[in-house]
Amino acid sequence: MAGIELLSDQGYRVDGRKPNELRKIQARMGVFSQADGSAYIEQGNTKALAVVYGPHEIRGSRSKSQHDRAIINCQYSMATFSTGERKRRPHGDRKSSEMTLHLKQTFEAAILTQLYPRSQIDIYVQILQADGGNYSACVNAATLAVVDAGIPLRDYVCACSAGFVEDTPLVDLSHLEESAGGTQLSLAVLPKAEHLALIEMDSRLHQDHLESMMDAATQACKDLYAVLDRVVRDHLQEVTTSIGE
Amino acid sequence: MVCLPLDAGAHKFRHMADRRLREFGCEQNLLSRPDGSASFVQGDTTVVVGIYGPAEVKVSKESYDRATLEVILKPKVGLPGVAERSREQFIRETCEAALLTALHPRTSIVLILQVIHDDGSLLSCCLNSACMAAMDAGLNMRCLFCGVTCAIDLDGNIILDPTAKQEKESRAVLTFAIDSVERQVMMSSTKGAFTTAEFHQSIAICQKAAESIFQFYRDSVGRRYSKS
Amino acid sequence: MLRRPQRASKLHQRVMNTNSLTQAPWHQTTVEPLEYHRKFLKENCRPDGRELGEFRTTTLNIGSITTADGSALVKLGNTTIICGIKGELAAPPADAPDKGYIVPNVDLPPLCSSRFRPGPPGEQAQAASQFIADVIENSEMLQREDLCIEKGKLSWVLYCDIICLDYDGNILDACIIALLASMKNVQLPEVHVNEQTGLAEVNMKKKRHLNIVKHPVAASFAVFDNSILIVDPTSDEENLSTGFITVVIDEEEKLCTVHKPGGTPLSNEKLQDCINRAITRNKEVCKLLNKVMKSMKAK
Repeated sequence: MAGIELLSDQGYRVDGRKPNELRKIQARMGVFSQADGSAYIEQGNTKALAVVYGPHEIRGSRSKSQHDRAIINCQYSMATFSTGERKRRPHGDRKSSEMTLHLKQTFEAAILTQLYPRSQIDIYVQILQADGGNYSACVNAATLAVVDAGIPLRDYVCACSAGFVEDTPLVDLSHLEESAGGTQLSLAVLPKAEHLALIEMDSRLHQDHLESMMDAATQACKDLYAVLDRVVRDHLQEVTTSIGE
Repeated sequence: MVCLPLDAGAHKFRHMADRRLREFGCEQNLLSRPDGSASFVQGDTTVVVGIYGPAEVKVSKESYDRATLEVILKPKVGLPGVAERSREQFIRETCEAALLTALHPRTSIVLILQVIHDDGSLLSCCLNSACMAAMDAGLNMRCLFCGVTCAIDLDGNIILDPTAKQEKESRAVLTFAIDSVERQVMMSSTKGAFTTAEFHQSIAICQKAAESIFQFYRDSVGRRYSKS
Repeated sequence: MLRRPQRASKLHQRVMNTNSLTQAPWHQTTVEPLEYHRKFLKENCRPDGRELGEFRTTTLNIGSITTADGSALVKLGNTTIICGIKGELAAPPADAPDKGYIVPNVDLPPLCSSRFRPGPPGEQAQAASQFIADVIENSEMLQREDLCIEKGKLSWVLYCDIICLDYDGNILDACIIALLASMKNVQLPEVHVNEQTGLAEVNMKKKRHLNIVKHPVAASFAVFDNSILIVDPTSDEENLSTGFITVVIDEEEKLCTVHKPGGTPLSNEKLQDCINRAITRNKEVCKLLNKVMKSMKAK
């Protein structure tokens, strides 16, 4: 790994975090009026927005309709001004299409789709500012939005990325750490049962290291779960008190 | 069938007064396939319109209480762009206000405009030809409408029905659609900056010019039906 | 960065509807929406408690996106618009070698409302993009010559991407505020063309703001029942109205655009009323803009 040192001798990362430390998370639910569910999340400098519509009747071709469950329709888009270099296309390029597919697969695993046969649930996510961990920010925001929409889930879906530098797993990579070109693992977990909803790894890693990396990422997802759960509970508290008035 | 305004000769010397419309004329029912058609000529600016409808509508575009109006504007060359979309919106919403679409629920009316030549005041020519074509198609209307364009030059003079060259040299270009019942402003599209006084002055001039277009509508329809 | 809308949630709203007497039962708002609105307009007010000439609360957040060269988030009631501007270098246009480009684009993604479908931009988004481009050109808010770095060789392209995040009517007004605020926020680095190599050299340490000379502000109106003018319509009001008009005016009371795409004919007096309201709106927005800019400097 040329150039910058991702992990100092004292065991700190470039932005001063410890290897297993998440970035600061701020999240809000129910930010928009038009949508059935919405959420906004900031993970460090990554800012993502998720909006859920549905369950509603199938739009577009009827052939997509499933007689025993709801279909999940996702769209991942990145604002043209979200990255350092201006993006030409906010969605529809290969990377976004891949991300759209990953999101769809993640939420098909988590949402109790069999409760809504012949219907459709739309999940739209928008990255407003990208600083690494786009997939995880989107999954976390979408989880909150789905909860806000009142759609039954098996469990929260918490996602986190992990890297591997100098025999140490690093969690919740920033853009700088991602672009250094090392191994990168994205993990989406249903934390209570420790079920994996999605796992994806880029580039090369010795088999012996996989377990420590997985452990670190799973632990990070559990830490995230605690944060997301706090957000949901606070939101609920706020809503119930305002109804009580 | 070709109609020309009765006082066509008077328009020949337009350079003498900028407060005159260019020579204009119209031919209705020139296409055989559409339900109504017209071409409108304003100086060198020419637009041909065909109307299809009320006809079957796509389920996705169906509205239960009125006909769906679709407007397609084809430029002289090339593919339609954002500017054409914007003009389509202007034309569609003006026609929607004039046509009694509530008479034909769950149907579609399609207006296709083809620009033959653009020499300034294109939007107003589009509106005039759309109105003539709607009359030809026999669609029920609340009122007739006409489009008038004027330009404000650098000295603050108002030029009616400008050519492309005059539009380019001017500080502002304003296009209005005027209705035939109360002579009020149905549509307004402006380019460039201008004062409130200039805005009202332009409306007044366009309203005055609209009279001659409405008279032309009346004459041409009268002539068309008196002959046969 | 994003704040909660006035209505806490769908659940909350449903409960409110049954509890409070001021809210109408659902069948009135959904089955006979027109009658429902008329009832309020008769009393010279609107279902959300506003007067006919009253705008919704406007909030402004400038510079929240650090990856953009300039950005702003605007909330007009529930309508939420974000604008980000990014500068790029390009050769100036052949017909105007001493100018730069400003490229606005309005996106109405399906996430902002269930009325928009995924796919290429629809007519409304395209018409809005054209409207914004017209306002930039007509108002001459900044001199395009300022964007030129070296005549005929290099100039700035400002990509102004405007995204609607929540659609509750009157996006044009919100778009113009977002555009204006992010233009004021833009900081471009200094660029020199090295005469020997002919390459551009960017000095990221020295940044300067754009020189915004005019402050155009839009005011939109909806015509209800062919007669009543209401300002700043919500999405529900837009669906029921018979015509729209948007007046854009700068601080010197010069009209930049009178955009009325068809609909109900309006008398000259009504048009003048709209212009007068737009003049006061310009003052309101400029005040808000200055206040937010000042509070940013204080930090």
